This record gives sequence, C-alpha cells and structure tokens, in this order.
Amino acid sequence: MELDGNIIGIIKEEKEENYDGLRVNEIVTYKKEEALKMVKFDIEKENTLFEELSSKDKNKVILAKKLHDKEIKLVNFSKGMLKKDIEYFQNLFKKITNYGRKVILIDKSGDIFLNCVDHIYVFDEDKIIYETTTIFDKYLEKYIDLPKIVEFINRSEEQGIRLDQYTELDELLKAIYRIKS
Amino acid sequence: MKIESDKNYVILNDNIDNAFMEQFKEYPIIENLRYIDLKKKIEFFSSKTIIFRETFYYLKKEEKEEILELLIRQKINYIIITSNIEDVLYANNLVVYKDSNIVLEGSTKEVLKKEKDLKKLGYGLPFAVDLSTQLNYYDIFQKVYYDISTLVEDLWN
Repeated sequence: MELDGNIIGIIKEEKEENYDGLRVNEIVTYKKEEALKMVKFDIEKENTLFEELSSKDKNKVILAKKLHDKEIKLVNFSKGMLKKDIEYFQNLFKKITNYGRKVILIDKSGDIFLNCVDHIYVFDEDKIIYETTTIFDKYLEKYIDLPKIVEFINRSEEQGIRLDQYTELDELLKAIYRIKS
Repeated sequence: MKIESDKNYVILNDNIDNAFMEQFKEYPIIENLRYIDLKKKIEFFSSKTIIFRETFYYLKKEEKEEILELLIRQKINYIIITSNIEDVLYANNLVVYKDSNIVLEGSTKEVLKKEKDLKKLGYGLPFAVDLSTQLNYYDIFQKVYYDISTLVEDLWN
C-alpha cells in the first residue's frame, strides 16, 4: 500500500521490534560507529544486550540499524524519549528524507507527529479508517492523545477563541497576551 | 529509593533500563500491557503495591484515569515509572532521577515549583503548569493550573 508523504505518521496497534538475545554491535552492523553516533547512542554500551537497554536506547539502536534503508519504519519510537530527544530526531528524520528516503512513524504519542509528519493515517488492523494532513485535526482525538499545545488550542476554540496553529509555547504565550491585553 | 507503602508515586527517569529496575524487584512490575489486559490484571490483583514500568505510554488519558480509579477502589498503591512529564500529575509524590541518581523528590506540587531544574534536566514542566506559570509572569494569572480544561475555562471566561 502506497502512503502519501516523506515522513508519515501512523496510528495503529503494532508490536515493537525485539532483538532480545543480541548485543548492540550484532544488531547494528552497517557503518556501525557512524550510525550509532548519528542517533546519539553511547558507544560504550555497544556490548550490551538489547533487552537490558532502556526504551530510549532500544529505539536508538533500531533506528541506527535502519538508518540507510530506503524506508525506515519505527514502532513507538517516542517511548522513553524526552521533548528534546524528540526534537533532535524530528530534525534527523527531515535530513534523512532529503536523501530520498521515507520515514514511517507508528506511534502512540501525538508529540512526535507535531511539526514533523506530512500525513497521518489511522489504521484498524490493515485498513485505513481515517487520514489527515494535520495533527490539529480534532477528529484524531478519538484515536490518540493530541500534543498538549494542540489540545489547548482546540479547547480554546470551543470557548470561542480562535488561535493560530502554534506549535511552540512562546508563540502561544504572545498570542494569549495580545488577546488579554 | 525509600518507598512508603501507603503512598502513590511517580518516578521520572529518562533511562529506565533493567539496571535501574533492579531496585524494585521485590514488587510486581507491569509493563507492555494494553488497556483491556491491564484492567483485567488489576481486577484480580492480590498485591498491595503495583509498579508500572512505562505502561502509561500505551494508554490514552481517559484510560489512565480509569486505571487509577480502579487502583484506588481496590486499595492498591501504585508507582508509575515514566519519562513523560505529563504523567507526574497522576500521584502526589514525585521522584526525579538523572543518571541513576535522585535529583529531586517531594510532593508533586513542590517539585514542580523547581521549574529551572526540571527544564535544565530536560524534563520540562507539564503543559498546563508551564503555560500557567508563564502567564503568572505576564500577570494574567495568579495561580498555577494542573489541568488544561480548567486553565482554558478560567483564562477565557
């Protein structure tokens, strides 16, 4: 099935990849050092077993393994990530797609879709039941917790206050200040 | 970390690996369960304390609230281990880790006052707390909000 976009967000139930029993340096074999460095994985942990890693590190290893694939599919990549980590990887995904590759994010958190994906699909098993091009689409709330800033803007609209689709707190604050003063 | 059996906690850590979880090995740990299975598990749960290892990642807001209501009804104390700053609002006690060390601990509302520390550590603040704190600086509010719906209502009405 051909999906639109270079960075695609997918909401569906999917099992995370598992490399239990393998060490990091057995999982990431192609251009290992360069790949691990690019995903900010601590090279000192390269002999660690996959199952002993945190979710964040597991996701970094999976990305490093796939970094040179034409299509990079990541399941629940945001698990264990902080906001600053998500921002780093969103920029990395954008760079990757500049080289003609596709990134598919199957995720439970709307935060990773904000400012990043071109298209969002909602799947029920293997069937697309909804699609949109923006995380500000209120209908998505049925399937996923939207990023808090989006929730705030949507709730404000319900109160009759129409705000632009801000993605940064600073911009939102300035807008609120303008309205209130 | 010292756990008082009659309290609920959120533990914030951005590197929840097996070595970190070792300290909780005496407690039953739940991970990777989705809502329906989690609910079933809790309904027949016999221990007095339960630990969620990043389990809340898989739940929507309403599902998290229902799980916590169920735990309270069953008189089960819980410890939520997460890297998501939004989840800290689900318990009155908060412990913040960095590199296996406790860096902040106390009542959730008190710890959330350490805005600079939490931002420096990379965790930030829950959105409602962050926005209302900033609005205090702008003199638009004189209090901190922990819930977006109440914040929106008070801000625009």
